[in-house]
Order: sequence, then C-alpha cells, then structure tokens
Amino acid sequence: MIIDALKYLAYVLVFPGFLFCFLTGLLLCGIDRKLVARMQKRVGPPILQPFYDFFKLCGKETIVPAAANRTVFLIAPLVGLAGLVVLQLFIPVFSFSAFSNVADVIVILYLLLIPALSIIIGGASTGSPYAGVGLSREMVTVLSCELPLVLVLLAVGKKVGAATGTGLCFSLTEIVRYQMANGSLLWRLSMIPAAVAFLLVIPGETGSHPFDAAEAETEICEGMLAEYSGAPLGVYKLSHAVKLLTMTSLFVMLFLGGIGGRLEALVYALGLTGGAAGALVMLLSVLVLFLLCVLLTAVAISLVHAVTARLKIEQIFKYYWTVVAALALLSLALAWYGL
Amino acid sequence: MFKKLIEESTGKSPWLFHINAGSCNGCDIELVSVLTPRYDAERLGFKLAGSPRHADIVVVTGPITAQSLPRVLRSIEQVPEPRCIVTMGSCPQSGNVFRGSYSICGPLSKYVHVDVDVAGCTPKPEAVIDGLALATKILQEKRRAMK
Repeated sequence: MIIDALKYLAYVLVFPGFLFCFLTGLLLCGIDRKLVARMQKRVGPPILQPFYDFFKLCGKETIVPAAANRTVFLIAPLVGLAGLVVLQLFIPVFSFSAFSNVADVIVILYLLLIPALSIIIGGASTGSPYAGVGLSREMVTVLSCELPLVLVLLAVGKKVGAATGTGLCFSLTEIVRYQMANGSLLWRLSMIPAAVAFLLVIPGETGSHPFDAAEAETEICEGMLAEYSGAPLGVYKLSHAVKLLTMTSLFVMLFLGGIGGRLEALVYALGLTGGAAGALVMLLSVLVLFLLCVLLTAVAISLVHAVTARLKIEQIFKYYWTVVAALALLSLALAWYGL
Repeated sequence: MFKKLIEESTGKSPWLFHINAGSCNGCDIELVSVLTPRYDAERLGFKLAGSPRHADIVVVTGPITAQSLPRVLRSIEQVPEPRCIVTMGSCPQSGNVFRGSYSICGPLSKYVHVDVDVAGCTPKPEAVIDGLALATKILQEKRRAMK
C-alpha cells in the first residue's frame, strides 16, 4: 500500500512527471533555439539558455498589476503547468506507462486544453488590453488546432480498432502495444496524411512560428503574458517548453510506437533476461524517445520557424480547417475503408 | 545553492526593452543590427522583450522629448527589479544636435539613475554589445545585493 503510494509519488514528481518534463522540455527548447540560429547562420544561444532564462525569472521581482485579480493571476500559471505534467503521465514511454488503464486519448484531448485555458484565464485576469487581443487570438488558435487533432486521433483509433477488431480504439496504451507487435503506423499508406497533419498541428499547439499570432511580441507585447513578470512568467515559459515535449512524444507514441518493439527485440537478442533486461529496455526507450522528440522538434518547429513569417489569425484558422483538416479526413476515410 | 544558481543565470540571460524617446531612428536600427546574424547578441543570451515587465535592461534612445518624458519614466518603473538602464547614442546623454531646443527635457540622468552610457551618433554595434555586456555585469551585482 505505502510502496504503491511512494511509487506513484515518484511517477508524478520524478520520472514521467515533473522533473523529467522540466529537464527534457527546457532542453528541447534550447535545442530548438540553437537550431533556428544555425539555420539563420548565427552562432545562437547556448543549449542551456532556457534554464538560465527560467532561473533568472525566478530571481526577478513579481509585479501584480493594480487592476489584476491577485489570486487568479498567481495561480493560473501553476494550473497550466500541472495540467501538462498530468498529461505527460498519461503518455506511455513505449511499453512503460505510469497509469495504463486509467485514461485514453479523449482525456489527453481534454488535458491539452488546460494550458491554453490557464493562459487565457491568467491573461484575462490582468485587465490589460494587449492580453484581451492576445486571448481572443489564442482562443481562435486553439479552436483551429482542435478539429484536425480530433480527426487525426479518430483516424489512428479507427486504424488500430479495425486491426484488433474492437471497432474504435481510444486507449493509447493499446495503440502503442499494437504498433510494438505489428510495426509503426507511420509506414502504413493510410496513416501518412494523418502523420503530416499532426506534424502541422504541433507548431499551432505550441504557439510557435508561423502560428504565434496570439503571442506576437512585436505587435501586441506577447499578448496574454504582457503583464506577467518574475516567477509566474517563468512558469509560463516552462509550460511552453514542456508542451514541446508533450506534443512530440504524443506523435512518437501515435505513429512511431513500433520502435519500442524493435528495442525490446534488440535487448532480448543480447541474451539478457529479468530485471537487467527491463532496466536496459527502459533506459533505451527513454533515450530513443528523447532523440525522436529532438528530431521532431527540428522538423516541425525549428525548420518551420526559420523559413516562415507570422500568419494573420484568420489565415491560421482557414489553413487548419481546410488543408490540415482535409489531410486528417483523408486518412480517416482511408482507414474506414480498411486500407 | 539556489541563490547562486539565480545569480549565475541573471548574468547569462539579459532581456532588453527598447524605448524610443524621440530618436531619429538611427540608434534604433543599430540596436536591431546587434541582434542580426552578423553580430548575433543572442549568443550571449540577449533577447528583445515585447513588454517592459519581461525586461532586465532598458535601452533608451533619443533626446527625451517633452512628450515622451512621462511615458519613458512610467515604462522604466514597470521593469521589475533588478534592472539596468542603458542610454544609447549621444542624445539621451547631452541632447546632441537638439541641445537647447524648447521641446527637449534631457539628459535622462536628471530623472533616473543611468547605469551605462554608450556614446556615439550612432554607436557602432561593437560598442553597443560592449555596453550591454557591462550592463549585464552591473545587473548581476544588483542581484547579488538583493535580499
């Protein structure tokens, strides 16, 4: 009983939970900044730059604006971060999942909304007109990403469900298990449009270029963050970094889960058994997951950031609901007809 | 240990906020050129912040016109401690060619404590980076003196 409690506490605080999110999220953010700089022929900041930024912000004075609601202003960033950490707990690391049968893709869909909601509520509580403009744009961005994301998840669910004979499969653990046995979904013809759609959703969900109209620092002073300073601002920056990890690792689990099977086969081929093999599989899984996240960040965020300029908010909406949604719908249709 | 970490980080991640107090736009363009691929101040952690509340270093350009003075002071007040104020170009220090005009309230040091002056019309990007690096050291000192 107590051992179980301690185990879950370790899950929440250390491994798929807070500490893991903190370290890998900020590291991904730093790698992204370095890559963008290299693509623009700059030297770029050190890879640890987001860590410096975070700790510096912790040491700054926190100014609460006179017009703001103090409690909401200070609690909103923490709620957003907590939502993301919980979300990360529900995303399995190949064969390992902290809470396997508790939640499925639908819960993940809801939890993905919490950081956006926290930033909207926090921004609204400041009473700043910049935040007002920013939050209306953020709402539109969230709404734009939502439709393609739901369609992608439906397509994956239908594909796996049809193969396993359960109709629609919404359990992420089940989806990963299916891929570990039968190979990654990314290499199926019908899933390629969905994977491309998900790659395009990643920059929208994380609010990076060219879909960052809500946080445009040159026109609306970073929108909802305009009045934030000190540690709460640092927590928002941290949430942004963790979201990179969340979105990329969700992609890995949805489309590249088969790699987990390869890893296990590799370790067992070495002739290891028992606890040592389990530990090695775990270690390799985390390492491979991190490398894949870096790769996906480079493709979906850094490259896109380096070659595009910011879109207007109505262009973002139109783009997601036509091009990206059509890609996801194509995948869904193909999966429906058993391709 | 935590305090030391924050102190180290303060020296490595100075965010800039730029105020144009009636500048001719010459210094403003030079400041932006500091962040371009040629000089790339981001390798030292510099970043242009959109809001004064995010900033550590305030860069003021221009001769502080009567119209801009109250707004400059209000913007500076909004920057959380520890903060540094850097004037860029000769205008905020002496008024430059605008000295003696009825609409000029400068120098800036009459109203707030200025940490670093970067002189020149306009200063070279190397001089600007040098001034900002000095401001970063002062920022770190200020953080050490806090609490």
